[in-house]
Amino acid sequence: MYSITVLSLLCIYAIVAISLNLVTGLAGQVTLGHAAFFGIGAYAVGFLTTRGLPFFLAWPVGVFIAAGLGLLLGGISLRLREDFLAIATIGFNFVVVAAFLYLPYFGGAYGISGIPRPLGNTWFFLLILVSTLAVMWLHEHVRRSDLGLALMSLRESELAAETLGVDVRRFKITAFVLGTGIAGLAGGLYAGYIGVIRPEDFGFPLSVTFLAMVAVGGMGTLWGPVAGAFLLGGFAQAFAFVYNYQLVLYGLLLALIMRYRPQGLLGRIL
Amino acid sequence: MTVLEVRNLSKRFGGVFAVTDVHLQVQEGELLGLFGPNGAGKTTLFNLISGTLKPDSGEIFFFGEKITHLPPHVRARKGIARTFQIVQPFGELTVLDNVLVPLAQQELTRLLPLRPYDSLARRKQAMEILELVGLAAWAHERARNLPLGLLKLLEVARSLALQPKLLLLDEPLAGLHLQESEQLLDVLLSLRGQVTMVLVEHNVRMALPVCDRAVVMDAGRVIAEGNPEQVRRDPQVIQAYLGEREDA
Amino acid sequence: MDWSTLAALTVDGLAVGSIYALTAFGLTLVYGLLRVLHVAHAGVYAVGAYGGWLAYTLTGNLGGTIVVGTLLAVIVGVFLEWWFYRPLQGKPPLVPLIGSIGLFVAVGDLLRILFGPYQQSFPVLPPRPILSPLTLPQVAVVGSTVLLFLLVYVVTNRTALGLSWKAIAQDLEMAAAVGIPLPRYTRMAFALASGLAGVAGILVGAYYNQIYPSMGSVPAYKALAVVVLGGLGNPWGTVVAGVLLGVIESIATAFLGNQFPPEGVAFLAMILVLLFRPQGLLASRIQG
Repeated sequence: MYSITVLSLLCIYAIVAISLNLVTGLAGQVTLGHAAFFGIGAYAVGFLTTRGLPFFLAWPVGVFIAAGLGLLLGGISLRLREDFLAIATIGFNFVVVAAFLYLPYFGGAYGISGIPRPLGNTWFFLLILVSTLAVMWLHEHVRRSDLGLALMSLRESELAAETLGVDVRRFKITAFVLGTGIAGLAGGLYAGYIGVIRPEDFGFPLSVTFLAMVAVGGMGTLWGPVAGAFLLGGFAQAFAFVYNYQLVLYGLLLALIMRYRPQGLLGRIL
Repeated sequence: MTVLEVRNLSKRFGGVFAVTDVHLQVQEGELLGLFGPNGAGKTTLFNLISGTLKPDSGEIFFFGEKITHLPPHVRARKGIARTFQIVQPFGELTVLDNVLVPLAQQELTRLLPLRPYDSLARRKQAMEILELVGLAAWAHERARNLPLGLLKLLEVARSLALQPKLLLLDEPLAGLHLQESEQLLDVLLSLRGQVTMVLVEHNVRMALPVCDRAVVMDAGRVIAEGNPEQVRRDPQVIQAYLGEREDA
Repeated sequence: MDWSTLAALTVDGLAVGSIYALTAFGLTLVYGLLRVLHVAHAGVYAVGAYGGWLAYTLTGNLGGTIVVGTLLAVIVGVFLEWWFYRPLQGKPPLVPLIGSIGLFVAVGDLLRILFGPYQQSFPVLPPRPILSPLTLPQVAVVGSTVLLFLLVYVVTNRTALGLSWKAIAQDLEMAAAVGIPLPRYTRMAFALASGLAGVAGILVGAYYNQIYPSMGSVPAYKALAVVVLGGLGNPWGTVVAGVLLGVIESIATAFLGNQFPPEGVAFLAMILVLLFRPQGLLASRIQG
């Protein structure tokens, strides 16, 4: 049972890492606010299911809201150069967490508890597994499509892309909507899986963790983000025996990998 | 037929005029040379025509249609292609995929274009272009691994994939060895008559003789225009180039 | 609210803003030269505070406190430049950014392991009133900040070093082409930035009479907002933005109380500024 619990969480992380890879790995748009969209999906499911809406209706609503706000962030991204974009997305994350904390109905610092799980444990785990495989398939399908090629051309040179007929605005926004929508999907699963959500669960540090998963695994590939999610997500479990030193090891791991293998463990040469 | 017409075009950076009140006409099928010393405004003019910069005033017409305010990708799809003086390859993509980028853009329809980008027909089309410029042997190499001479050829190949009606070449020979220059010039001359071209080139000695017509800019203005022989003898042109005679 | 309360809040805001300015200045200097967001800078700041605290606990000497804390911060900062940032030049900005966040996390946690998770008191500046109603910590913080920035002004505007920094910030390749030895100058920039952060760490510890391992977190995020508001890579804009943010926060919090989510609102303001003035609120021109 314990292994299924851990595996469920790792699969949810993998979904988020893959979704972030669409935005950052393929399209080259660095975002440090992805946890906000994960949180929006989770809060939508938490809010709606505790008011009686079935999970399978609340879930798509969460995806929809996350993607809608992703559209907004995508619009903002059009005006910003890369470092400014990264900082603006950090800001976005803080604003969303503040909204969870201070808007009425979201339970303030205590968050939302008693979120019902729609299926039995085994079936819910299967739902998570199937979702993970579906998102992996979608990622590969996108990467090999006209859309994927356009996104990669943006990452490599926006200037060349736009003078070769690539509609920069359209594809940046597409990347954000897809990536944030899928993060919302993962958030919905997370809320059903964990049952209790609080604002601080979706803060800036989680966004850093997601980005680190993608970068440590290897950006732009499918298996990189998956491996990164399992490695960093499983880190706490794997290093439970050195509980007191977990965080310092984690920080050093990030720094050492970026320093000595900047393309990530499974990435190609950078 | 007039392919491109530029009227009263001006662009300032800060308080400095980079392009001042420029008039220019490019006729179908010609190879127009655009010359001038460093800082004359040639690259800025290209940026204005391809749409990566917006002019402060003036108009640009492409086959009689006003395009002054269209975004770059729309102009590209209408048939205005350009190469960059500082090459802009899609480094992590293969040479073939570099050429597939513009090819794919011409067939986009749906909101989410999820068809595979490297269909057989498209690959064939891309390979033909690569063969034309002499890059076929490098098709599956990643662009970042290519030497500068081949990257300049790749710039031309990508532009040709747009099936351009107007090709703007920004110093395609800069930084190349003599042999590479000759190879690239041969490619450009083989396109002559099929594609209308504007060539910006610092190496006047090599480029001027092959042009049908030449325009010379200095300090943001057009100072001379005519056939290569007239331009070469124009006292104003000689004056403008006086400072850099040796390398001109 | 009467005038004396407002004055007290303003002075408190000036002190807090001074700390923001001291930390954010280094961040923006480093950004201007290397184009990296040096998040671990906030870790350097915490190292400075702990170094100063350690020296004070062992010797009780004010001069020693400042020297040890600042020196330790400089050593850590210069080490990071040498070992981490310099070799990663030319990589996508994401790479140093993620590594830098990792370093920041590691430094904070290392301090926790070494000195314990709890607050340590740092009574180097007793809060007795001098120049009533001003207290000693307030005067010390604002006073040293003004002195330090005067010094920094002289360095950046009157020395060859400052001139070279400006050249590098404006055009890296050109600066290299005219023979400015980049590594030496960026290393000195890290030394100055880290020294200022170290002093800021000591001052904030003394001001609140406490230090704790995660004390870098708030400046880490807030300095980013300050740097953006000041115009990324524009040092003096950053100083003004830092001081302003301190004062506005101090007064706003007193008016609106704890219902007010300071981080959320600060960042919302930042996003709005980015949208309508992408070059930053106080930048006179677009850099880079």
